[in-house]
Amino acid sequence: MQTFAEKKLWSLEPINEIIPPKSSGDNWSLNPIDQFVISKLSIESLPPSPRAKRRSLIRRASYDLTGLPPNPETVAEFINDPSNNVTAFAKVIEKLLESVAYGEKWGRHWLDVVRYADTAGENSDHPVEDAWRYRNWVIEAFNSDKPYDQFVCEQLAGDILAKEKKGKEFADNITATGYLAIARRFGHDIDKRMYLTYEDAIDNLGKTFLGLSISCARCHDHKHDPITMQDYYALYGVLASSRLPFPGCEPKQQPRDLVPLVTAQVIKENEAWEKELKKLESDLITRPKEKLKKIAAENHRVLSRGHLPVGKSIDVTPDPIKIDIRKGEAIQISIAPNANYGADTTLIKLKIKHESDSGKLQWSTEDLLDNLIDANPLKSKDAIWCFLDIGSEGPRFLNKKTEAIDGQSTLKKWSPGDLPSVAVNMGKESVKVWTEIPPRSFFVHPGKESPVAVTWISPVSGKINIELKMSDGHAFGDGVIWRLEHFANQEIQSAYEKLAIDKLGLAKIEEHKNKRSLRKTAYAYAMAEGIPKDYPIHNRGDNKDLGVIVKRRFLSTLGGEALGNDLSSGRLDLANLIVDPKNPLTARVMVNRIWAWHFGQGIVETPNDFGTHGSAPTHPELLDYLASEFIQNSWSIKHMHRMIMSSATYQQSANSGQSPKKYAGFERRRLSAEELRDTILYVSGILDKLPGQGHPFPPRNKWNFTQHNPFADEYASSKRSIYLMRKRNQISTFFSLFDGPDPNASTASRSQTTVPSQALYFMNDPFFHDCAEQFASDILSIGPDQRLERACQQLFSRSATQTDHEDFEAFADVLAPIVSNDSEEQDTEIWRSYARILMSSNEFLYLD
Amino acid sequence: MIAQRPDRRSFLRSFVAGSSMMPALLRNLDAVPKSGDPLSIKNSHFPAKAKNVIFLFMTGGVSHVDTFDPKPKLKTDVGKEIKLDHPEIENRPGYEKIYLKAPQWEFSAHGQCGTEVSTLFPHVAQCVDDIALIRSMHTDHSNHYNATLGMHTGSFAFARPSLGSWVSYGLGTENRNLPSFITIAPKQTYAGTQVYASDFLPGAHQGTFLRPSKDPFKNISSILPQSRQELELAALQRLNERHLIARSGDAEAEARIKSFETAFGMQMEVPELFDFSKETNATHDLYGLKRGSTEGFAWQCLAARRLVERGVRFVELIDTGSSGNWDSHGNMMDHEKLARNVDQSIAGLLKDLKSRGMFEDTLLVWTTEFGRTPFNNKADAPGREHHNWAFSSWMAGAGVRPGIVYGSTDKYGVRPIKNPVHVHDFHATILHLLGLDHEKLTYRHDGRDYRLTDVYGNVVQGIMT
Repeated sequence: MQTFAEKKLWSLEPINEIIPPKSSGDNWSLNPIDQFVISKLSIESLPPSPRAKRRSLIRRASYDLTGLPPNPETVAEFINDPSNNVTAFAKVIEKLLESVAYGEKWGRHWLDVVRYADTAGENSDHPVEDAWRYRNWVIEAFNSDKPYDQFVCEQLAGDILAKEKKGKEFADNITATGYLAIARRFGHDIDKRMYLTYEDAIDNLGKTFLGLSISCARCHDHKHDPITMQDYYALYGVLASSRLPFPGCEPKQQPRDLVPLVTAQVIKENEAWEKELKKLESDLITRPKEKLKKIAAENHRVLSRGHLPVGKSIDVTPDPIKIDIRKGEAIQISIAPNANYGADTTLIKLKIKHESDSGKLQWSTEDLLDNLIDANPLKSKDAIWCFLDIGSEGPRFLNKKTEAIDGQSTLKKWSPGDLPSVAVNMGKESVKVWTEIPPRSFFVHPGKESPVAVTWISPVSGKINIELKMSDGHAFGDGVIWRLEHFANQEIQSAYEKLAIDKLGLAKIEEHKNKRSLRKTAYAYAMAEGIPKDYPIHNRGDNKDLGVIVKRRFLSTLGGEALGNDLSSGRLDLANLIVDPKNPLTARVMVNRIWAWHFGQGIVETPNDFGTHGSAPTHPELLDYLASEFIQNSWSIKHMHRMIMSSATYQQSANSGQSPKKYAGFERRRLSAEELRDTILYVSGILDKLPGQGHPFPPRNKWNFTQHNPFADEYASSKRSIYLMRKRNQISTFFSLFDGPDPNASTASRSQTTVPSQALYFMNDPFFHDCAEQFASDILSIGPDQRLERACQQLFSRSATQTDHEDFEAFADVLAPIVSNDSEEQDTEIWRSYARILMSSNEFLYLD
Repeated sequence: MIAQRPDRRSFLRSFVAGSSMMPALLRNLDAVPKSGDPLSIKNSHFPAKAKNVIFLFMTGGVSHVDTFDPKPKLKTDVGKEIKLDHPEIENRPGYEKIYLKAPQWEFSAHGQCGTEVSTLFPHVAQCVDDIALIRSMHTDHSNHYNATLGMHTGSFAFARPSLGSWVSYGLGTENRNLPSFITIAPKQTYAGTQVYASDFLPGAHQGTFLRPSKDPFKNISSILPQSRQELELAALQRLNERHLIARSGDAEAEARIKSFETAFGMQMEVPELFDFSKETNATHDLYGLKRGSTEGFAWQCLAARRLVERGVRFVELIDTGSSGNWDSHGNMMDHEKLARNVDQSIAGLLKDLKSRGMFEDTLLVWTTEFGRTPFNNKADAPGREHHNWAFSSWMAGAGVRPGIVYGSTDKYGVRPIKNPVHVHDFHATILHLLGLDHEKLTYRHDGRDYRLTDVYGNVVQGIMT
């Protein structure tokens, strides 16, 4: 066996306990960080930069922690804060750390590193419906300052930790393993290329948590770092002993192996609950419907039917229809759209007369004008009136009443919410709504697929005379089809009554639904244990050329402890070893990331590579000091923010990014792609600050994504950029234009390019123009004297200067005559232009 | 407040006065660009043979012994064990022993000059009489990242300005409505944006990265009437300059100011540039481009010709990206489809430049980051490993001696034995053909004069006319 010539790698040395150096006459340092920095500077005889102005500092801090600009009121509060600089700025930091936007900004950093995407990648780029749960878990974890060691363990082994948990904690622990689950999938049938997915997962966890490129050892021992093929396949076994969810691929479209977010007990309860729900729905809705349909179908007799032409009135029964009826039987008039739907408002007058020895009785729709919405079914003179939808969802009672249609209080209706409807104008005046509704009228309106019916259930037996008049209430379209029927079976009354408890039934069903907060078992794209065992080496990375079996264990250079056994994959052991304070890499790597995300550059310039190919730390003692501080303060990320940001180092004025590497300070930077988009939306008042959830992917049963026809949807949203759907195969134009992350690879730090196509975005992009116009219209709503001041406050977090005013006025004077003769229009156009100008400016785009 | 209304013209003038930032605007006002403009035409150090460069980069490492460097001995000695202190086998289990591996494609002589090329490049083979083939290239590193960075910047470890940026810096550019340096690739390759970055050179020299498509430049049409857009841009530049002055010339901010100027010019020029509809069927056929298609290297090659025609100084075409490329560890047969993607269109480009009289002005460069090992740990291993000790590149066009082979490797293609050409020499030669002395083309940064070739580089006189 080849032995690796082990080199001394600085990052594998134990973290040293460091005492911050004291420089004589140091009156600059605010905290230990500064002592390291000043001592290094003094070696080079370099002075620190002067302290940044409060205005620059709050804008910098606000973007650094939340990715959004401070609002003008917050800026004013800070600038006018009489406390000393240190205290005043500490307050600003606290406020920012408490905002939800903090997690949305720092969660995005993390998602860069773990190459988060909402699709599976490769050929068909299948959507991953539940990936968002992991994304939101990351955001929440930052916001709640979840200790980093716990943050790591949950992502690697949350499903195992969840066994001891319940409720939200159970669900969250499982969701966290979305980290491993989102590993890229490869090939046509991704089940056949899982070894590449394991490699991707190992590669990412090596870089993310340890700053090591482990996956180089898939095919050969690492050429430069102390990682062997044995090491690689020892970790491979851990992944291969676990079950990854399956997102779907070209030959197998449907996902599988998703993980329920509730315990087995809750799943059982959900199943019982669902069964009961089905029973209730059947008893209270389905069966009565079927019963009524059956009786009606078997006993119906059409008395008359026809077409009511557009704009016409007809008297169906110049001679009343005379029939025999028995108590409990029904007469029904129904109205359906003709060939074309629309403008189907139909006025109805139905009159039924009965003469017997005991006298004359009469029922009419006119009787219902004043009490229509008292009830449905509605009792009137011992008869029962029913108003029904008899379309595809029916028969069902129209169970929602509207007391005033279109705000007209004399218009009342029954409907399922919209259409079909049975309605009255109870007033003495005609009402103009979508059409002129005559006074004291009874009218109906069918839905497109749902004819409407008015049914009368007879309280008497004997002969009845039926009179029916109708007229088209809305003289457009092609009229309606009507039908007058007799249901000659006394059982129909009880069938109607059974159906009528529909409303009651719905309430009962609703009550049942409310018994459980999660109506259906929710699933996560997450990990589960698989079949634990050890795996062989793939000689030269060839998965068909198998070598010796390697026991699952941690990297030999970090101790090589065994991972897992016959019953467990070893993921939890792995997680625990990664976060073991004795492991010198984990804390160093993370504090360096935090440092780099604040300053634009890490103490180690290559945050994903602490190996021989990476850079050496510029301030090794500072790195170790921060790493110890991190571990000793319960791995609190917010603690590190406070420490870094309260240093004089952070509070220096910005650097141009071209200074010697030994310098540590804030480098002037462009807004990131997300910061830019979010800010444009924010200042124009369009930003929807509520957290996002899943994406409107097409339903699973419609999936048929292939390599030639991959999933390629785009979804617009006005939420923060972190919530936008990100595809692996196609990076959206905007994000690639402004150096967004590549979701196929871990992005440790964003590059910052400046190209003319970015300028074209500000010049010609319709979305940018829309937002700028929106911003302009807000500015125009305030007094002319305050406009420029307000704009500068909003966009630059500062007051407008004399020069700003002069420039603006010079511009306005020239533009005005070009755009209009009308002074109000001129104002509008000037501000539309100036909003674009200000929002395209370097001051807007760069942070000092 | 002064009641007098300035007109548009004087507004533009007063806003742009004293500035070098808006020559495009000024030119529209018939003004003369100031000499401080980083992209203005500069005199070369001595008379140039070439004005423009089209740099064809085959990413991933093309095997020299299977393409342009015939090694019949590899065939006869196949399976023979050899001993080498090679970077790709050092400390690598399974590579204790290595054996010669035979080329998988046949070579034959072509043209008047009789230069031998393999069947992987049948179309390029027809052009050998115009080509100076270098069989003795070598480079410092066997990692993709480092070797790719080295081929583009002369630095194998650190971010430095790209070759195209140096050329733009040295010569300026003719067409101010287009970037001076454009890179077209279907995706990013190794070392990402660093292969076209200007690094410490002024941002104006940064390469513009385009992906092949019908509309490679987004947002190219102005929504506003031109007169209004000009005013907005003038006011914007005014704001930006005030911002810049307060920040003592921050390079990023300056580059961004510049980018608006270029963008403004691009609006005028670009829409027509990528409309290939007026190209004849014969031209389409020459490149092997299907009418209307933007797929493959053929589209990139035709686009390159059109860019150079319109005065773009330096065009780089990268054939694939950091995956699915020439890195045939697993199977050398992958070279076939990669060669098919580029062969006809490269030959088509060369012929097209010739027939249009552009060959006298344009330098065509073909290269890769390194070669591939003539050996492997089994004689019948399907792939080849990285080989930085030797590889082949070629040049053609302006100032290049046609129909020659320069340098050679040993009998197995392991190392150059005659006239070795290092990447630095290669760069020095390209600059020389452009009239630039690689030792004089310097830029002061961090207290030091930097150059593309660092402290190395010899011009390869043997390949020049």
